[in-house]
Amino acid sequence: MDAVLTTLKILIIGDSGVGKSSLLLRFTDDKFDPEQAATIGVDFKVKAITIDGNTVKLAIWDTAGQERFRTLTPSYYRGAQGVIFVYDTTQRETFTHLTTWLTEVETYSTKPAIVKMLVGNKIDKENRQVSREEGLKFARKHCMLFIEASAKTRDGVECAFEELVEKVIQTPGLWEAEDGRHGNVNIHSTNTGGYCQC
Amino acid sequence: MAEALVKKNPGKILCEKCGSVILLENAAIWTEVPDGIYLPAMKTTDGEGAKGYEFWTVSDMFAFENVGFCNTVENIKYLACADCEIGPIGAHMLSDKKTFYVSPLRVKHDVPSDGTDTVDDAQPAPCAE
Repeated sequence: MDAVLTTLKILIIGDSGVGKSSLLLRFTDDKFDPEQAATIGVDFKVKAITIDGNTVKLAIWDTAGQERFRTLTPSYYRGAQGVIFVYDTTQRETFTHLTTWLTEVETYSTKPAIVKMLVGNKIDKENRQVSREEGLKFARKHCMLFIEASAKTRDGVECAFEELVEKVIQTPGLWEAEDGRHGNVNIHSTNTGGYCQC
Repeated sequence: MAEALVKKNPGKILCEKCGSVILLENAAIWTEVPDGIYLPAMKTTDGEGAKGYEFWTVSDMFAFENVGFCNTVENIKYLACADCEIGPIGAHMLSDKKTFYVSPLRVKHDVPSDGTDTVDDAQPAPCAE
């Protein structure tokens, strides 16, 4: 059993309907009755991820429901080491709004080097309105990792979390090891700062 | 060991629907709750929920491998599977920040990994792979 290297707070941000929550769901064909948990709504999730033999525990918060109020509370951003910005590649306005979300993160985040990732979602759907090139250009401009994804097929989804976590771990001062150590521990820095190739 | 009487989960605790790993072996402690904890039914068609009197408990949310916390309902955050969101599989009372309850009746118990004979190959793969 791997020792836990660290715990990280990760946020998922974007407009309503871009598929933020579904990025976190495992796709299943099972036909079940609607469950109570789904009815109540999930606030946040704890997920373990193993990278190069290190287990990292993530507390993942998505903004479902809250983004209706446009501005999230500052406490939501406090202490976050990573942010995943999600837009719908078939709804241009969700891409345009990214600037607003980015401003919020820059205003409220308490970590100086918070790692940002951009996810262009729903690439399995027709009627694409935002090209891959546009997404990549935006990501480069704002120093974000970038992938396109489809929660339906889970293309790129696992990869997104892994790459984000790797980047956080490679960023000195952004996280603290469970035993008090700082910095890079047993992480092979393959392709630092690169864009996901999946 | 002074804590020889503490009963821990011998095998992994998994989601009964999708097999997602909720707790690794020896991560949780068997706890009796005399007053019981009410959990709503797992499916909307099952009608009323039920009170549980025995739970697996952990004292830190990061003791979980994978778990979802529902929005707060009357000072309780119900727990759900992080991967398929079936639930409630347990509860966490905001009045007691150090206890997280998982109902043994609402999860699957994996065979201990060091078991010599029958290993159930039909177990779903852990989700984190």
